[in-house]
Amino acid sequence: MSELGVVLVTELGRKLRSAIFWLATLGGIVAIAFMVEAPVLLAALERSSSSDIVLAGPEPLRDRAAALMEAHKDYRVVASVDALPQHVTPNYLERHGKAGAAVAISLRAGRIHLDVYPKDLSAFDDVEFRSLSPLNVELVTGLASARVENASKIDRTIHPLDAKFADTRAAALAHGVTFGLVFILYLSIVISSQSIMSAVAEEKTNRIAEILIATIDPTNLLYGKTLAAAVVAMAQIGLWVATAVVLLPQAASSLVSSSSVSSPPRTGDAGAVLAVLDPGLLVAFAIFFVLGYLQYATIYAAAGSLVSRTEELGAVATPVILPVVGAFLVANFALVQPGSPIVIACSFVPFLSPFVIFTRIAISEVPAWQIALAVIVNIATVAGCFWAAGRVYRVGMLLYGRLPSPRQIVAALRA
Amino acid sequence: MLFVDRVSRSFGSVAAVHDVSFSAERGSVIGLLGPNGAGKTTTMRILLGIYVPDAGRVTWNGAAIDLATRRRFGYLPEERGLYGKMKVRDQIVYFARLHGLHADVARKHADAWMARLEIDEYADRACNELSKGNQQKVQLAGAVAHDPELLVLDEPFSGLDPVNAETMLSCIRTLSEAGTTIVLSSHQMFQIEDACRSFCIVGAGRVRASGSLTELRQAFPTRSVRVAPDLPAFRALFAARGAPAPRADGTELIYELPVTADFGALLREAVAAGPLETFERQEPTLSQIYIRALGPSNGHPA
Repeated sequence: MSELGVVLVTELGRKLRSAIFWLATLGGIVAIAFMVEAPVLLAALERSSSSDIVLAGPEPLRDRAAALMEAHKDYRVVASVDALPQHVTPNYLERHGKAGAAVAISLRAGRIHLDVYPKDLSAFDDVEFRSLSPLNVELVTGLASARVENASKIDRTIHPLDAKFADTRAAALAHGVTFGLVFILYLSIVISSQSIMSAVAEEKTNRIAEILIATIDPTNLLYGKTLAAAVVAMAQIGLWVATAVVLLPQAASSLVSSSSVSSPPRTGDAGAVLAVLDPGLLVAFAIFFVLGYLQYATIYAAAGSLVSRTEELGAVATPVILPVVGAFLVANFALVQPGSPIVIACSFVPFLSPFVIFTRIAISEVPAWQIALAVIVNIATVAGCFWAAGRVYRVGMLLYGRLPSPRQIVAALRA
Repeated sequence: MLFVDRVSRSFGSVAAVHDVSFSAERGSVIGLLGPNGAGKTTTMRILLGIYVPDAGRVTWNGAAIDLATRRRFGYLPEERGLYGKMKVRDQIVYFARLHGLHADVARKHADAWMARLEIDEYADRACNELSKGNQQKVQLAGAVAHDPELLVLDEPFSGLDPVNAETMLSCIRTLSEAGTTIVLSSHQMFQIEDACRSFCIVGAGRVRASGSLTELRQAFPTRSVRVAPDLPAFRALFAARGAPAPRADGTELIYELPVTADFGALLREAVAAGPLETFERQEPTLSQIYIRALGPSNGHPA
């Protein structure tokens, strides 16, 4: 096995045996599961506290109102009574299907009048009972509510300007999923790159670097460490994305069904999420993650080689963390304006490109030549980073004392 | 054979090593002696290819030292370093594999060296759980597990207790007998004198003296003569031959005379001059040679 292979395998083993790696991986899985499931849990909680109502009133009016509300998924009538007590208390609501509110419906001056008693005013979703409007029009004008409702409908056809998404729901889901993936990309690059920087600094400060550099080509040491960290980070992200892929469709399905009082969950929502997370997007994510990761990790490793004490890591971390933060911000702008000239230009700017081009691919139609150009730019950037980082690393690992000046770093690059 | 030919290396305006030359036969042990900042570590780093010399060349068996050659070398730096959380055996195997050994062979060699250095009971323990002395043994095992042709030891006795220092000496002898060429540096004169066949004394980046102990002694300009008792007649006798004022060592006096003096005639005259109890001509010690070679400024320019 080549020395690069030995370094790669050993570094992989060290990382996989590290308790911190497993804590971070499992913690990430739990965090993603929580983030995915949290809206479902919140929706369930909200439904029980605000959407469920006790409906009171004369029987014919009450039944027609209940039918309209349930058909429009505004509220779910958990209990029907002729009249409410003089004082509606939380206990009363609790006894009647744990409702979030009591609503008394009556007629005043030939119109519907509602007396609403919410348990928690802040949590009560006051949607103005729009589903009762056709019934109100019927009572005032004499037109049948079904006719009113039918006449109120506006037929519309949405014509997407590109063929990326079939409908607005798919597009909205894609934005959400893309933001999640870009955030994972950002988080993983920041965490893993900082981990590499600390590991390099530790090797230098505990003087093991001198033995390694006396034995093998320092650039092979740098490459081996960086690639091992990339493989581990990929595995980690793979687990995180797999968690999201498994849970997201179920969560989406639950969310849609939770907003529907009577209809069963629609499998189309789960399918839409899976359609967003198609293999092509995941491959693009993997490619631009690796390319982006290698750009940042090598620079971070070189930065780590410049410190003499781990306490100095903060001083060198600040300048190298700014590009990744900038890339994340530009990617967020790209999420809103994927076709902006600035965003398109940033797709080919080293260090920004992995984030921006991936965001554009995920939410818009990107010409193939732009993707190819971005890949070429990123590969060239990775090669340049390895070259520059290798030179700085070779010199930096044996440099002790004060942090080197920018002039000294340039001298190392020219050496 | 290691051949260092007029090697120089500067860092900015500071000449860390200037015109340094020495050589070492296969299986020999050469000691680099000098005060802190003399250029010993820089010289060793040049041998190992960590630094490229500004001038001069280093050859191993007649060829320039490249990466493939360096993988046949071993190195124990002055500042010890290990992966704290890595197990002892894994650490030694890793270093051996970096030097080109196959995994199985590396494991066998690691086990053999752990047994020899009596750290085999810690094979599956993390390095940071070991005492400092045992960590140094792990480091030594890592430096030699691949049976290096050239072993560079920077201050190998630093921080070792007498028992571990003796273990280190024993390993140096064993490796030397097996054909490993060893370059070591140390401040411990007693141990370095015992371990080395030849010496290179450096000060302020320059070679001040070099050769075997015999050669260094031959080049030493004076000899000490230990005389007792302290009698005016003896003092007059040595003063007449140009000896400076003697220094006392208990009841004995130590005179310094040029190496060219006729010590036989001097002994005969001393016997005739009074009741002589002690008259002992002494060869210079390595410490004396070292101190003389470096001068009062300890090798640094005055």
